Amino acid sequence: MPLVELLGVSKVYRIGDQEIRALDHIDLTIEEGEFVSIIGPSGSGKSTLMHLLGCLDTPSAGRMVICGNDLSRASADSLAAVRNREIGFVFQSFNLLAKLDVVNNIELPLVYAGVPTHQRRLRAEATARAVGLGDRLANRPIQLSGGQCQRVAIGRALVNNPRIVFGDEPTGNLDSATGEMILEIFRDLNAAGKTIVLVTHDPDIAARSRRVIEIRDGRVLREYAP
Amino acid sequence: MNFLMALEIGLREIAAHKFRSGLSMLGIVLGVGSLIATLALTDGIEKGTRAFMEQIGGLESVRVLNKDISNQNFEFWNLSPGRTLLDVEALRAQAPLISHISPELYLPAVVGSEEGKSERRQVRGVFPDSFVVNKHTLTAGRFLTDLDIERATRTAVVGFTIADELWPDVKPSEILGKVVLINDSPFEIVGVLPRYERDIDARARADKRPPRYAGRQGRWDPFREKNESVNIPFSTMFFEFRSGAFPMNSLETVRLDNFTIRIGDLTRFREAMEQARAALDVTHKGVDDYDLETREEWFDRMESSVRATRLSGGIIAAISLFVGSIGIMNIMLASITERVREIGIRMAVGARGRDIFVQILIESMSISFLGGLIGIAASFGLLEVLSAVAPMDNPPVTTLGAIIFSVFFAVLAGFFSGIYPALRASRLNPISALRYE
Repeated sequence: MPLVELLGVSKVYRIGDQEIRALDHIDLTIEEGEFVSIIGPSGSGKSTLMHLLGCLDTPSAGRMVICGNDLSRASADSLAAVRNREIGFVFQSFNLLAKLDVVNNIELPLVYAGVPTHQRRLRAEATARAVGLGDRLANRPIQLSGGQCQRVAIGRALVNNPRIVFGDEPTGNLDSATGEMILEIFRDLNAAGKTIVLVTHDPDIAARSRRVIEIRDGRVLREYAP
Repeated sequence: MNFLMALEIGLREIAAHKFRSGLSMLGIVLGVGSLIATLALTDGIEKGTRAFMEQIGGLESVRVLNKDISNQNFEFWNLSPGRTLLDVEALRAQAPLISHISPELYLPAVVGSEEGKSERRQVRGVFPDSFVVNKHTLTAGRFLTDLDIERATRTAVVGFTIADELWPDVKPSEILGKVVLINDSPFEIVGVLPRYERDIDARARADKRPPRYAGRQGRWDPFREKNESVNIPFSTMFFEFRSGAFPMNSLETVRLDNFTIRIGDLTRFREAMEQARAALDVTHKGVDDYDLETREEWFDRMESSVRATRLSGGIIAAISLFVGSIGIMNIMLASITERVREIGIRMAVGARGRDIFVQILIESMSISFLGGLIGIAASFGLLEVLSAVAPMDNPPVTTLGAIIFSVFFAVLAGFFSGIYPALRASRLNPISALRYE
């Protein structure tokens, strides 16, 4: 059974009496263990697609099944539950909580999963070490470099052991050397069996993946393996 | 998300914005402070009044008063002898629920010592029951006894003021046996009553401060009458100052100046009153020239005035709490606007709407709870200021119950003021929240 299955999915936004069709009948399947890039210019609908795949939103039409959950008409709460269990996000701007230290940032998904405090801490620390932040546990994001921040974000995405990790322009705010290191981490994760979905506008980054889906005007323009 | 986690987040948020949180707490601080202070003041008044009522005889005491006859009985007024010793006998025989009966004769007299000091005072001829009805205690000697009545002894029990006036700086035990002259007739002092005073005056005296109202003329001292009393046996009073013979066969010739009875069992108050009325109606030949004055009305009046004070203070406190909760709501709305992105991040990693709701609600309740705690301290300060500016008859009594009650209301105010901001935060769309700058 595929991990992600979209059948004729559309997303329509309404602004005043204007109708904006951000996604137009998308059919897409992603199997477990894939390393997929979604690429397209801004306004192509790739962000909307990622929001749907990331369970942040529901489609206006069509069928969407993610990790075995039919989320075509899901409520906000069931979306949140799937996000919490099955999905990790890595954002371009890190999106860490400035008031929390590394461990507290990483353990955030566990808080909402209802994991007891002690266990939460152990798992968060282990994850922090796994992404190479073992000596930074008590630091706040402001005391970390961009690369380290992105590692914290990756740690947070991984701590709940999700089946899919999304990267939304994860290297966008980093210099090329650091970006390279972050991409390396994604590749290692994929080698270890995680499904990775990168959203980017940069064909060079997309070329690192094993499957590229190019979006234009809300439709899949083409699909290829680099 | 569990409660402790939400609490921790909330407290961290408050600590991060100390000044702002402090400002938003202000209304709650004042509200709780004034609520506790109001309750303390009214509890003090209630306690003081109760203690005073208790000392002047409590609810159990009922006075038999003369009353103007109603028009329909007017022509029969001379049938009734009025309040006489006959009433006492009738009550003794027919009203078993009346435990003590205290008829008194009054004599305005010159009370003096052999050393030559004298004052004009009211002398009372009493029965031993009088000491029970008026709740007297002793510092030295004994009360008057039935034997004193029987033999019409020339003995007296004097109040503190009398003893102090006639023999200043003499210990009560040494006053016993001294002779007091009542209109030049010598009486032996067998008992001295203690100094009756309010707690607040007793404390002031213990601290060697002047009494609170020293120098304020005309202020009512509730214990003045008790302190100034000179009590001699009823029979002696009658023989010496009223008539030549004690008319045991015609008791109704002995008219009383004061007449108080005491109900033994308050739970059967109504029944006792009916017994008393039945007996007195017979002795008064059915003429309604007497009335039974109970303290119940006093108590009711006192309680309703305490209630009114409590209510007005409560309303002020409630307004303050209301204003405080609006302040908190305002701050919480500002705070969630500032934290839209944070809320978006929390939602992205799996926080449900209700997790966010609970977090914001706990935050606003924490603010109000902290405000309540500060308010407790504020209430003590407020009471200090109040008692310095306007001295009170009754010292305020701060009870734990009042504190818990007030803080509970503060937290309740925080709860209600948190609902709307929490609802708004929990309904944020995670996508737009994440994009929010």
